[in-house]
Amino acid sequence: MGGGSYYVEALTQELVRSAWAHIQEVEKLGGMAKAIETGLPKMRIEEAAARRQAHIDSRDEMIVGINKYRLEHENPLDILAVDNVAVRLSQIKRLEKLRANRDNDTVQSCLEAITNSMETGRGNLLELAVEAARARASLGEISDAIEKVSGRHKAVIRSISGVYSSEFADSNEFQRVRKMTDEFEEHEGRRPRIMIAKMGQDGHDRGAKVISTAFADLGFDVDIGPLFQTPEETAQDAVDNDVHVVGMSSLAAGHKTLLPQLIEELKKRGREDIMVCIGGVIPAQDYEFLYKSGAAAIFGPGTVLPIAAGNILEKLKEQLYWDE
Amino acid sequence: MNDGYKPDWTPANAGKEFACDVMKGVQSSHDGMTNFAATTVRKSVSVTKRDKLTVDDYVQGILAGDRMLLARAITLIESNSPKHMELAQAVLQRILPYSGNSIRVGITGVPGAGKSTFIEAVGCSLCQKGHKLAVLAVDPSSSITRGSILGDKTRMENLSREKNAFIRPSPSGGTLGGVTRKSRETLLLCEAAGYDIILVETVGVGQSEITVRSMVDFFLLVVLTGAGDELQGMKKGVMEIADAILVNKADGDNKQKAEMVKVDYDRMLHYLRPATEGWQTKAYTCSAITGAGIPELWQVIHTFREKMMENHVFLTAGRFKRWNGFMPWLKIIYVVFFIRMRMLKRIASLSKTRLPQISFRQRWPHRNLLTRLKNLKNTIN
Repeated sequence: MGGGSYYVEALTQELVRSAWAHIQEVEKLGGMAKAIETGLPKMRIEEAAARRQAHIDSRDEMIVGINKYRLEHENPLDILAVDNVAVRLSQIKRLEKLRANRDNDTVQSCLEAITNSMETGRGNLLELAVEAARARASLGEISDAIEKVSGRHKAVIRSISGVYSSEFADSNEFQRVRKMTDEFEEHEGRRPRIMIAKMGQDGHDRGAKVISTAFADLGFDVDIGPLFQTPEETAQDAVDNDVHVVGMSSLAAGHKTLLPQLIEELKKRGREDIMVCIGGVIPAQDYEFLYKSGAAAIFGPGTVLPIAAGNILEKLKEQLYWDE
Repeated sequence: MNDGYKPDWTPANAGKEFACDVMKGVQSSHDGMTNFAATTVRKSVSVTKRDKLTVDDYVQGILAGDRMLLARAITLIESNSPKHMELAQAVLQRILPYSGNSIRVGITGVPGAGKSTFIEAVGCSLCQKGHKLAVLAVDPSSSITRGSILGDKTRMENLSREKNAFIRPSPSGGTLGGVTRKSRETLLLCEAAGYDIILVETVGVGQSEITVRSMVDFFLLVVLTGAGDELQGMKKGVMEIADAILVNKADGDNKQKAEMVKVDYDRMLHYLRPATEGWQTKAYTCSAITGAGIPELWQVIHTFREKMMENHVFLTAGRFKRWNGFMPWLKIIYVVFFIRMRMLKRIASLSKTRLPQISFRQRWPHRNLLTRLKNLKNTIN
């Protein structure tokens, strides 16, 4: 199919071979459903992402505009902002209206039929769900009816380590930060400890995992928080684990609501000294707001991880009385 | 959003619930970043400096059950820096009299055996019963980068939301033996903060976990139904120090297999010397998902505790093994403490008089030891 180009042929062959290896790995675990239960596919994706991040950070892989030929000044870009609070309020209003106007007895019987079908294993679940939806049961109610019997799927979160450093370890920047973390331990009696948090309805945790593995490779103790945490839960975990820094990863535009809440919760627990950094997709328009709300540092797209880590360490030194 | 405007596709009748605005672009470099580093750390952003705590702050905080101070005290104890040691020892000395009254359970097993899911299941049910539960989880530090990834809370989502549960993951810091260098001391801190059940989750190598054994009352080995090589794969060493073996994931298709594995283990255990004197180690099955078998297992731990309390083994075997790890002055305090408890028990049994509220928990005033004991004797006689 490569039409005679030996180079393309070789590449295709390579692609096929590595894809086959992955398929075989999944087969060995008893199929994709079983494999997902073990968390392996997710881990492989994160591994690849961490490796790629290392390539980009070390400039082995060039992306024009990111790590090559960057513009001195980008053109100002207008962006659409959605007021999360207003959306939430109007959504709640709609739900209330829906619940007031539907036939609640029918909804209940539809939901019971779903639970019943789950228990007995009889009946077509999809059909019952469609019926429930026609009776105006919400998605949450339908899944709750199933959950009563099945329990909730919890993604197995596996962590990887050593991937980032295996690609990047010999660079100067990397070695400099590693030396800094060693120095930090000598001074503080423990390694710098960072909690990578995912808050709100933002389930995109690949970035967070790449950051986690890279920071661990740089010599940090990295706490990974569960997905979908509330700011209260994140603050409590940060306090219980006594971390130096919380790094929140925001990819679904929740940062303007969640960051101030997190800082407020930390304050409530008497730990306003825990630094809060934020990274992810954050438009330049929001920087000022976030700094005013108490963010210690903001890491946007294109951040080189060792440099980010170095900056955090510098800040920590200042905070922990190293100047005395 | 102040300088924003409504997008041109805004419906004419858009009310308040129309939540979209356009934010004008700002004059900056790439996404507000000024250079290749793509990283903005503003020098102008002020940082809140960390406050320094005194021995009194720590001790009062811990005794009042303040989680924030308990967490910071654990950090202090775990510190490798010489400048923290004096403070750490002072704190430890002050809280020691309030420690020692908890059920300490060590949990080990190979990675993926389901230690965390088991802790999550058992922990939630204990918290609902009103217990205060502390979980000390240990994760391995990399020997090369010396960093670590502490992901235990992702596997204990529900438990980490419980008000009565305190979960503290710690990096092993290169210490062998399945725990950190300071797990023993951390246990004491949690006890002083009022946690009555403490679970220690080890790194999970399935061997060389003798260190954990010496600091807990009950040692649980979590195993899986594997691909038929369960018994060969398992190190005899770790079976010898377990008080119970738990076959996890006994649910669905796996249930029958789990029962068979359990029988295999039971047979094997017959040939081993029991880990604790006067207690026959047995295998059990459970499912962390359905919750089956977990109350039963906890009942086993309770029975163990009652039995050991009777035999004093709870005090001798487990706690005395801790001996080696203690500083000389701690040893003295321990001896006095121990003798006192033995004496009170004996006096109580001789005179058949009920002593007013003598518990292990009772505060231990360092002063006037002799006069107090004499008074006690007098009241009994």
